[in-house]
Amino acid sequence: MSNEVLLDSKALAENEALAYVLESHENIWGSRLRLAGSNAAKTAYQTIRVERLSPALGAEISGVDLTKPLEDKTFQEIHTALIENQVIFFRDQNLSMDQHEAFGRRFGTLHSHPAIPGPEGHPKVLILHADEKAHTAVSAWHADITSDQVPPMGSILLAKVLPETGGDTMFASMYAAYEALTDKWQKFLSDLEAEHSVEHVFGGSKGPNPPSPAVHPVLRTHPVSGRTGLYVNSVYTTKIIGMTSKESAAVLDFLIRHVERPEFHVRFKWKVNSIAFWDNRCTQHRAMADYYPQTRTMQRVAINGEERPFHRPN
Amino acid sequence: MDNAAISKMVQGNNTIWGDHFQLAGPGAERAYETIQLTRLAPALGAEISGVDLTKSLGPKTCQEIHDALVDNQVIFFRDQDITLQQHKDFGRYFGSLHVHPVIPGPEGHPEILMLHSDEKEQYSASAWHSDVSCDPVPNLGAILLAKVMPKTGGDTEFASMHAAYEGLSDKMQRFLCGLEAQHGSEHVFGRAKNADDKRPTAIHPVIRTHPVSGRQGIYVNSVFTVKIIGLKPKESASVLEFLYRHIELPEFHVRFKWQVNSIAFWDNRSPQHRAIADFFPQTRTMQRVTINGDSPPFYRPS
Repeated sequence: MSNEVLLDSKALAENEALAYVLESHENIWGSRLRLAGSNAAKTAYQTIRVERLSPALGAEISGVDLTKPLEDKTFQEIHTALIENQVIFFRDQNLSMDQHEAFGRRFGTLHSHPAIPGPEGHPKVLILHADEKAHTAVSAWHADITSDQVPPMGSILLAKVLPETGGDTMFASMYAAYEALTDKWQKFLSDLEAEHSVEHVFGGSKGPNPPSPAVHPVLRTHPVSGRTGLYVNSVYTTKIIGMTSKESAAVLDFLIRHVERPEFHVRFKWKVNSIAFWDNRCTQHRAMADYYPQTRTMQRVAINGEERPFHRPN
Repeated sequence: MDNAAISKMVQGNNTIWGDHFQLAGPGAERAYETIQLTRLAPALGAEISGVDLTKSLGPKTCQEIHDALVDNQVIFFRDQDITLQQHKDFGRYFGSLHVHPVIPGPEGHPEILMLHSDEKEQYSASAWHSDVSCDPVPNLGAILLAKVMPKTGGDTEFASMHAAYEGLSDKMQRFLCGLEAQHGSEHVFGRAKNADDKRPTAIHPVIRTHPVSGRQGIYVNSVFTVKIIGLKPKESASVLEFLYRHIELPEFHVRFKWQVNSIAFWDNRSPQHRAIADFFPQTRTMQRVTINGDSPPFYRPS
């Protein structure tokens, strides 16, 4: 079928009318966004294949076996793919815990969870298990442990047991969310800071030394890409410094809802031995709590961050 | 902290960590004989294979496709390179076809609606809606075929209104079941220009019973619903706002990634849908037929 048939002149004229209706009623039909990601510079990869999954973020990597030690060139390209795509996915990687840790160590030192011990002999591995007895899905948007002074740089999550359907994970690009804000909002946010706390999340402090809240910029400059992203989230961020509580709540509510727009997302459908590796400095994620009472078991290592979040205006 | 402690912590803080849902899934586990079906998400959506829509379908296949549609609320097909005529023929198995009152179809095919977006015309309905719920008898469903796609982007999301309803508390369900809402179109399409330029309005129940499956579903949407009848303006706005946010929870969704010649066939009596407006300035062209509804929406207690 030719394009002429699809788009005869009459239909095209009406299409303009339709576009006008939608644009002039943007508050009803939703606003259209131009995402930089789809036009971003593409690296020519030599050792891996990279398939972009969504305009905002996400790519599936193939042509690499993570059970084997990585050549330096392959490691470099995986790192580049992570920076360019913010979250990368691998399929059919049946990693042992040792291999999982070894892959993570290529990117930095591994994080130990402060409250949840790992399996015997693997203190850096976190097992996330949900079944009929345990609802553990974290279905609110967040970046990991932003209540830390130096939050993790990223996490590598491996699926071991999955429900028949459900249990997808969604990732959101904080670059795309930032870039879709008006100039006025971007300027307004550019010198604000927010408090991130763990106490309201995990319940009152039990130990003698509850961690003090961290203060981070509301906009974060990525230390490698230099791109600016939104850096508040619905789980850990408690308030914006220097505003009244109502002002802070209104601004955070707007930003947290803004992040929910699916234009900024990729939705990943797991298979057993799939891996998601996200850059915790420029993405948020949430699990789907839609598979209860089925079982879902995931195995994770997190990589320590190297510096406190900062904002350097462009 | 062991797994039971994490579970307790997450459940005890669901205002922070999010709610959990136990989804009923499809009404029945059917054994299909003429088609294969792969379920895509717990709430709704299935991909159908083993059927060639360029050929005429037997009554058994049509019945199974209809069963799959009602159970899964939206069904998907791949690699269906059908002509305009075959597209209409497929739609007519399920009812008479709708002719758009304003937008003419391609020459000789008034029942076909072309949806085209490119650098000049940014067409994308990215707010959640069910189609023309402002009509007294809204359409039964629509069959959308992808002809030209951007490299990435332009997915469509569908939301199960059955799952969204079942995700409400008993108290909220009881409150909504007796209510009706006003749906309109003037605020959507602008004022009518002349007597032929229709701007329909309708009153529908807030909870709609599916005429085939009998399942209840939320039946208000962010595009066409104006207000809830009998509530004060602020009460109505607050209830509608709550419901629109509730519908946005991705536990109730399936996100469909198109390829050229993919088809989505949704039951317009249950799910809502929205386009993802993330592919500008690339081109995306879709071809649609719409099946007329056969009865006004109603509510019948379970």
